Amino acid sequence: MGKSIVITSGKGGVGKTTTTANIGTGLAQIGRKVCLVDADIGLRNLDVVMGLENRIVYDLIDVVEGHCRVRSALIKDKRFDNLFLLPAAQTREKDAVNPEQMEKLITELKQEFDYVLVDCPAGIEQGFKNAIAGADLAIIVTTPEVSAVRDADRIIGLLEADELFEPQLIVNRIRPDMIRRGDMMTTDDMIDILAIKLLGIVPDDESIIVSTNKGEPAVLDKKSVSGQAFRNIVRRLEGASVPFLALEEENMVKRLMRFIGIGGKS
Amino acid sequence: MSKEACIIKGNKHGLSISIPREMDFAEVLSQLRTRLASAQEFFAGAAVYVSAADRDLEPEEKQQLAKTVEEFGLSITEPEADEAPAPAVESGKDEFKEDTLLLRRTIRSGQKIRYDGNVVVLGDVNPGAEIICSGDILVLGSLRGVAHAGCTGNVNASVFAFRLEPTQLRIANYISRSPDEKLPKPLGPELARVCDNVIQITAYQS
Repeated sequence: MGKSIVITSGKGGVGKTTTTANIGTGLAQIGRKVCLVDADIGLRNLDVVMGLENRIVYDLIDVVEGHCRVRSALIKDKRFDNLFLLPAAQTREKDAVNPEQMEKLITELKQEFDYVLVDCPAGIEQGFKNAIAGADLAIIVTTPEVSAVRDADRIIGLLEADELFEPQLIVNRIRPDMIRRGDMMTTDDMIDILAIKLLGIVPDDESIIVSTNKGEPAVLDKKSVSGQAFRNIVRRLEGASVPFLALEEENMVKRLMRFIGIGGKS
Repeated sequence: MSKEACIIKGNKHGLSISIPREMDFAEVLSQLRTRLASAQEFFAGAAVYVSAADRDLEPEEKQQLAKTVEEFGLSITEPEADEAPAPAVESGKDEFKEDTLLLRRTIRSGQKIRYDGNVVVLGDVNPGAEIICSGDILVLGSLRGVAHAGCTGNVNASVFAFRLEPTQLRIANYISRSPDEKLPKPLGPELARVCDNVIQITAYQS
């Protein structure tokens, strides 16, 4: 029996879908059998980010309404044979499903997959309630902004009310240069308020915009810093203890100095 | 002149004249006259109470006292018998149960705690959270949300926190908010209560 994880945030646009795609792809890369579920009915994106949009025949609503079997709605990833996507319906709305149906669906998927990752829509209404139904663990994505942290806090409270305890935090779009200038909240500031376990820090990275638009998750790009951050997150989910990225910008001089042993710790 | 003297003190009820136990009554009267004459305008119109520590004044003596006081335009008022129990009745007005709710968790944005009694939080109260109760609020952590103590009108209620950085503080019907400019973080526990019709925050010393 696998593990179901919901990726949520409250606020929109903080990178839930990108995170879901990258963690899912990262888990598949190390050989886990993974199913991604897009719970953002009516505003589906996960298929686009995964580059699988043109393969959709059936969707999540077709499954819960019994028009097709789960197996026929699942889309196999173009890169990994052990990665699947259950797309959301684009022509329906959030209230087309209820939490009981979602829970049943997730439980069914858990029988077959090591990980079931659910991409939660923004907001705290029906769509959110559907997405968290049947989840064993919640991952909260936030950015270093007061409004995003506030919404994350609200979400943690709602998860607790739904008996989904000990969520883990991913801080997305950290900009080390801004933190150094004192213009951005630090990870410590956010942990201080949210008081939950930190799962990962993902730096703001232009390459992720490129990869998202291309439908190629950044986690597969060996040169990408954010890809490295996601690979670390995947290893932590697997139970490994991986130190957090030191998000100091290292230029060539610094790197060289460290290489010959005069830079000390950066 | 003997060490003992007739003492005139002012308090919120008026003037109180204390007569020492072993003093000659004629001396009392003469002293009283001198004192009252020295500040006639100051004493004018005040209510006068006589307290004669352990000394039973003869009716005749009382009359003489009254007469002396009247010479200066004052009169002696008998103390009200039920003066002492009055505060007890007053405090009974702020009726709330002396119950305390203990919360062993972080109170997060969107969560609202309403309680008839005191609230103790073993954790933080985050921005966007609200605690409203009829008694005192104690936060053994950071208070960053909204706190309303004494919500049924108890102005003696207080709010205490290890880190008191609330969005808004309310005690009874007094409201205060944090200033718009950024404040230095509080270094230690602080206590907020109503003083002189405003909510005042002071560093907490046990």
